[in-house]
Amino acid sequence: MSQTHPPPGKPGISRRQFLTGTGLGAAATALLRTSEAPTQANQAQAPKTVGFGPNPVACELLVNGARITVHIEPRVTLLDCLRHYMDITGPKRVCDRGTCGACTVLLDGRPIYACTMLALEAQGKKIETPESLYEDGQLHRVPAAFVQYDAQQCGFCTPGFVMAMKACFDRNPNATPAEVEQGLAGNICRCGTYQQMRDALRSLCKKGG
Amino acid sequence: MAEIKWPEKRRLIGTKVPRVDGPDKATGRARYSQDINRPGMLHALILRSPYAHCRIKSLDLSEAQKAPGVRAIVTVGQINYTAGKKEGMPGWEFPVSVTDVGRELFYHGDEILAIAADTEEHARDALRLVKIEFEELPFIVKEETALRRRQGPSTVPGKDASNVLAGGSRTEGDPDGAKKAAEVLVRGTYGVPVITHCCLETHGLVAEWESPRSLTIWCTTQAVPATANQLQNFLAGHGITCNVRCITHHMGGGYGSKFGPDIQGYLAAVLAWLAKAPVKLFLERDEEHLAAGNRPSATATVTIGGSHDGTITVFEATTYGTPGVGRAAGVNIGILPYVYDVRNVRISTDIVRLNHGAARAMRAPAHPQNCFITECAVDDFANAAGLDPMEVRLKNLPQNDPAAVKNTPTSFLALRNTIYTDEIRIAAELSQWKKKWHPPGKGPTKGPWKHGIGMALHTWGGAGRADNDVFVTISSDGSVVVQCSTQDLGTGERTVLAIVVAEVLGLDPKDLTVVIGESQIGRSTGSGGSTTAPGTAPAALVAAINARDELFRKVAPKLGMKPENLVLEPNKITDKASGKSFTWRQFCARLGMDTVRGQGNWIPGLSNLGVGGVQVAEVWVDTETGVVRLEKIVAVQDCGMVINKLACESQVAGGVIMGINLAMFEEMIVDEQTGRMVNPDFEFYKLGGMLDMPEIIVHMHDMPERGVIGIGEPPTISTAAAIGNAICNALGVRVPRTPFSPDRVLAALHAKK
Repeated sequence: MSQTHPPPGKPGISRRQFLTGTGLGAAATALLRTSEAPTQANQAQAPKTVGFGPNPVACELLVNGARITVHIEPRVTLLDCLRHYMDITGPKRVCDRGTCGACTVLLDGRPIYACTMLALEAQGKKIETPESLYEDGQLHRVPAAFVQYDAQQCGFCTPGFVMAMKACFDRNPNATPAEVEQGLAGNICRCGTYQQMRDALRSLCKKGG
Repeated sequence: MAEIKWPEKRRLIGTKVPRVDGPDKATGRARYSQDINRPGMLHALILRSPYAHCRIKSLDLSEAQKAPGVRAIVTVGQINYTAGKKEGMPGWEFPVSVTDVGRELFYHGDEILAIAADTEEHARDALRLVKIEFEELPFIVKEETALRRRQGPSTVPGKDASNVLAGGSRTEGDPDGAKKAAEVLVRGTYGVPVITHCCLETHGLVAEWESPRSLTIWCTTQAVPATANQLQNFLAGHGITCNVRCITHHMGGGYGSKFGPDIQGYLAAVLAWLAKAPVKLFLERDEEHLAAGNRPSATATVTIGGSHDGTITVFEATTYGTPGVGRAAGVNIGILPYVYDVRNVRISTDIVRLNHGAARAMRAPAHPQNCFITECAVDDFANAAGLDPMEVRLKNLPQNDPAAVKNTPTSFLALRNTIYTDEIRIAAELSQWKKKWHPPGKGPTKGPWKHGIGMALHTWGGAGRADNDVFVTISSDGSVVVQCSTQDLGTGERTVLAIVVAEVLGLDPKDLTVVIGESQIGRSTGSGGSTTAPGTAPAALVAAINARDELFRKVAPKLGMKPENLVLEPNKITDKASGKSFTWRQFCARLGMDTVRGQGNWIPGLSNLGVGGVQVAEVWVDTETGVVRLEKIVAVQDCGMVINKLACESQVAGGVIMGINLAMFEEMIVDEQTGRMVNPDFEFYKLGGMLDMPEIIVHMHDMPERGVIGIGEPPTISTAAAIGNAICNALGVRVPRTPFSPDRVLAALHAKK
């Protein structure tokens, strides 16, 4: 399966490869402008595109600084790959369709919903999960504020909120409380810990609330 | 033994203690049941009814069985099969032609079968290969339709002739006479819809057989020992005698919906048995909405009357609500009218059964509904009488019971009037009620926005329960392990136990190891009725005292001291006779090879029951768009002796937010044409986010002399009613039903014109 390994430092899969691999190639072709559409002749001469699946392929992810390779079907989401195949369960599966934010991880520093990205698409990118914020007994200041202000109850949404909040401060260390609250608007908590999260984020905002 | 009491001077109890498992939970290191991965574990998924009511005409599993990765299939018919069963032959050894064909399914989402495969992807593929034909049957999914067809026939399970069951009635005094005599009489209709629990960790479990005699489940449950017992009994019913161990170290919400293994627990146990491999089976989000419980709706037509001075003399309510295919009522006729003392009462309720998922207990069952019905009517009465509704509330509070004052002075009966009066006063101060309240519709405006403020009261039990065991083990290295089989729904139960034991032993809560959520540890009761802290904290106190005394008894002779001369202070044990003192570690080291174990059970006198609670909501309503903006909520809450002020305040704010969701966003919508729930997700089943939340001010009305009382449920009860009353105060018109969405606000404004 060496041909499926991404070149170092490059995303592991192109949009074209993905579409071909998942059987959407035909649909994509139909969307091309007529001038770009390959004829029968040059299609035969075109270099063979590597397809993925439906059988498992190797997928190497860079998670919290560690390179981990698993064999997964191309349809497996980044979230399921982390949880089911890599036993990294900090990102939670709650809605599984990009509405609740419980699966938030950082991809090259940007917060994303891991449930709405294929694992293969995340190859070659730096993935940070909540577990990375508590290593060697050192608790990162964002989850530490969650603990101090009790901004969690059942805690199932919390790792997602923590990652979203960390991303806010990573992007702008001088973020205001209002800006951080905006950054958390894509996450849902059922126990209702928003008030305590406000206390926590205000304590982290340099310019105060 | 001397009578055990809470310490007079409390170093930790009642202070703000960060939860001991906080760092692990906040960084995803805490393993919830859904995070358990076992070697060789299979993934299972459930096939569910696509129809609101149908019968299985044919079922063919042959292709699904051959699908890649499939290891086991079991049907609901098979696990429920008892007719003609032979001794020692489980129902799942019978073919589906016998067990399932002809079986009726009663709602969209009703379980049909489950498939376990090596990967979740393969299980999903295999579900699509199940060949199944249905005969569609008549269904009813709207309460109004069922009430029109009161004569039947029934479309729901059971032998009743109709979907509508009489839910009982109650009459006190002379309501007809009181209505005639009333100087002010108002009639209104108020209602809340069915909402779902929305546990973020969906229901489910991992099931693993270590041997045919031993099953371990990692199940997300709010009743750890009871779940193990239920599963054990189910398996015994199928001729499998085994021990079931249930582990729930962390759980992602329950709110009343997770009291047993449920059908997915039975399915997973059987799949694991058949496949001889661990099986993980968790519901997906849509299944969670459809089949994992909901809160019954309630609609009431209320006539309330009284005198010009604000005394309420009569309360009459005709009510109904739906528990879906379940049988639980959303209205509790025993506690209606809610909180207030009214002498002439007539209440009746109908239970309207519909073809959607069954209701389950949800955070203060029946109370939010009863509160909404009562508190909206009380406000409408006050408005009609031209009075400040806060004064009307004060006037109609129940009195402190004279007999209780004499015999049980810390009981709620003895204190209720005092508690409510104090809490109303505090809430009024915190919300600036006197300054901000205005006659309905006559408040400040900002362009099309109008200001309003509203109040509501609530009550709850929250008693401690017996049958809770706590064990405290002290080792010679000074380490302390606290064990209880109970679970932490999110309340901070681990920390509750740590605080109580650390208080007694003079340690820091962080220094203790607390092990909870394992059924084999001992007895504990389910987390229902806000009973966990009042059930386990007294047991922890007794266990810690027993452990301390045992430690003194064992070590004192080795030091030539007498146990009764030893005094324990934070990290210091002193002998009064010699004046010698030791650190905790130095003292414990004298145990040598020995250890100390103290056991505690719940005893009366350390916990109590009965709380009040007052909430005030302040809103702005846009009369052009119908949008309601929440400005501020004030929640004043008592719960006897507060153990962890930090978690307690968080619980209250969380309860308020769940009430905000009920008021503003939540509604299970079932389509009348197809019988399907149209919003089993988080896009169209809306829960509020950070930007939807107002400022929330929580005031704990601490009453340590009353002992520990549960806090989980009460603070969610009255929020929706307070918001409803605030909207009415803003507009001068009642929006009768939640959620208070713009269309409903505009419709109410339109009806006024």
